[in-house]
Amino acid sequence: MSLLKLKNVEKVYHQGKIDVPAIRGISLEIEKGEFTTIFGPSGSGKTTLLNIIGCLDKPTDGEIYYEAEKKLSTLTKNELSNFRRYNLGFIFQGHNLIPVLTAFENVEFAIRIIDGISKKERREKVLDILNSVGLEGLEDRRPNELSGGQKQRVAIARALVKNPKLVLADEPTANLDSENSQEVLNIMLKMNKKLGTTFIFSTHDPQVMEYAKRLIEIRDGKVTHDEQGENLDVPH
Amino acid sequence: MKFLMTLAGRNLFRNKMRTIVSITAIAIAVMVVVFARGLVIGVLDSSFSLYVQYDSGHIKIIDEDYENKTELLSLKHYVDGFEGNGVLKMADRLEEEEGVQLAIPRLKFGAMASPGEEIIRMMGWGVIPESEFQFTKIETAFEQGRMVKMGKREIVLGSGLISSLNKKLGDNITILYKNSFDAFKGSTFKIVGVVDHYLPLINNRLFYIPLDQAQRILIMEDGATEVLIKTKSMGEAEQVKPIIQQVLGDNESRDKYLVQTWSEANPTLKLFNIAKYIYNIIYILLILLAGVVVINTMIMIVKERTQEIGMMSALGLKSREILIIFIIEGTFMGIVGSFLGAVSGSIFTKYLSIHGIDYTEAVGVVSGEFLMNPTIYPVFNVENMIFSFILGSVITTLTCIIPARRAAKLEPSEALRDI
Repeated sequence: MSLLKLKNVEKVYHQGKIDVPAIRGISLEIEKGEFTTIFGPSGSGKTTLLNIIGCLDKPTDGEIYYEAEKKLSTLTKNELSNFRRYNLGFIFQGHNLIPVLTAFENVEFAIRIIDGISKKERREKVLDILNSVGLEGLEDRRPNELSGGQKQRVAIARALVKNPKLVLADEPTANLDSENSQEVLNIMLKMNKKLGTTFIFSTHDPQVMEYAKRLIEIRDGKVTHDEQGENLDVPH
Repeated sequence: MKFLMTLAGRNLFRNKMRTIVSITAIAIAVMVVVFARGLVIGVLDSSFSLYVQYDSGHIKIIDEDYENKTELLSLKHYVDGFEGNGVLKMADRLEEEEGVQLAIPRLKFGAMASPGEEIIRMMGWGVIPESEFQFTKIETAFEQGRMVKMGKREIVLGSGLISSLNKKLGDNITILYKNSFDAFKGSTFKIVGVVDHYLPLINNRLFYIPLDQAQRILIMEDGATEVLIKTKSMGEAEQVKPIIQQVLGDNESRDKYLVQTWSEANPTLKLFNIAKYIYNIIYILLILLAGVVVINTMIMIVKERTQEIGMMSALGLKSREILIIFIIEGTFMGIVGSFLGAVSGSIFTKYLSIHGIDYTEAVGVVSGEFLMNPTIYPVFNVENMIFSFILGSVITTLTCIIPARRAAKLEPSEALRDI
């Protein structure tokens, strides 16, 4: 059973009187545990597709199914918030940490808004995931006291702490140097293997693509290439 | 909720200067409101009190036809009791009624004196000295000497009047007047006291003589131009008025006399009451002005944190929860600012309620028309402090809903795109 299924998804932005199509009838299936990269040139529709998959944006047309049965395209704004809260993790290009919260609190944020997790349980989960991403001892630091790589690791920990089935990462290494990019990608790969979490990236960084187990190329809002397996042909 | 509050609380310290400026704006507005309310209440209470003491009492009884001739100080239409039995008996009878604390007759008449070539216009009040002490605060106004005594040809003058007459305590003074038969007469009285009311209108024109002497020289046996009634409070005048009318009706005098509450006798005071409502609107506008500062601050905050809002929304925070975070931030600024403003405003008002604000020069200009104390004592009270605090807190909380809603309505995908 696929984790995610997109059927003829379209997205059109209305800019004044002009309709700008961003996604043109994309159909995709993402299996559980995939480590997928969506790539393509700027403006090809990568982020829009990721936003639609992540329920941050609604498609103009088409349907999205989660675990075959849940039709995401018909959910209300509140239902979508709830869905994201319990099922999805996000990693953003700019890490987007809350500057007034410590690393621990930033990670805790993701499960603090989930009902039924005790304070003790929360603490254990947060410390455990922070250890997993190599941030033990830095729990009490605020974002301005962390390096770029450390911040992105906090963001990864925040995305994974609730043990979501799907993590969406929009150009997660765009602001990192090569060394930090590799570290971050290794952590994500490790989590993918350890927890079976499904990862979908958008990127145009060949280094990221080399880690992918599936490569989906998008151009002008359409899937132009979809390949999976080991030793993929990564465009440079 | 606790987490949202913690987050909102910490957010306030992100840009301390901006938070301090917003809180200061609210504090200043609330402080001004506390002080302005205290000042207005002080001015109005003082004026109400003066009008009650010197003009209308809480309830005034006059002859039906006297109303339009009050300014002329006519002696043709006066109060001479029930069926002419005398004003003193009438006052005694009225004091028997529940709600009536005091009923005092006053006989007001026009007079003049001519110390040299100049003619000085005056206003005489025939009074019962003991009753006057109970009704007004005249005992505190004595600059020299004492009050007149019943049966004696004695006179008490205002300090401004005695000065313009070139007289001093112990001197005799001859006043000229028209009696109730329009005959032009003169009488001499001994000056036994000088009062300084701090009210130029009264000080420069008024003199007191005993009621019996006034009745004698004006040939108005047992009469007075008005009977003033004091109730427990100004608010009770409306309830006591029908009782007075009933007593008049029972004594066949219902049609002869007109019963007026303080507000009916002084239409100006009604305007004062309307002014209170207008001032309340001004207070609200003033705090709204500070609210605009909060709105501006919050709009800047929302703009700065757009990506963060997008991130929180992506993590599953609902619009309502985002709204709450921003409302808590605005409310916190509103509450702290209002508290500081209410406390500092109260301290300032309390200080001036003791030391007063001297408006002597300004009062000199308006005193020809209004009874207004030249030293204004703003009224300090806890109710004012609480009112202003609540007004400030509520208005700033309401105003911050506008930017908070803007934050809550942001679409996560658009917010995340914001640079």
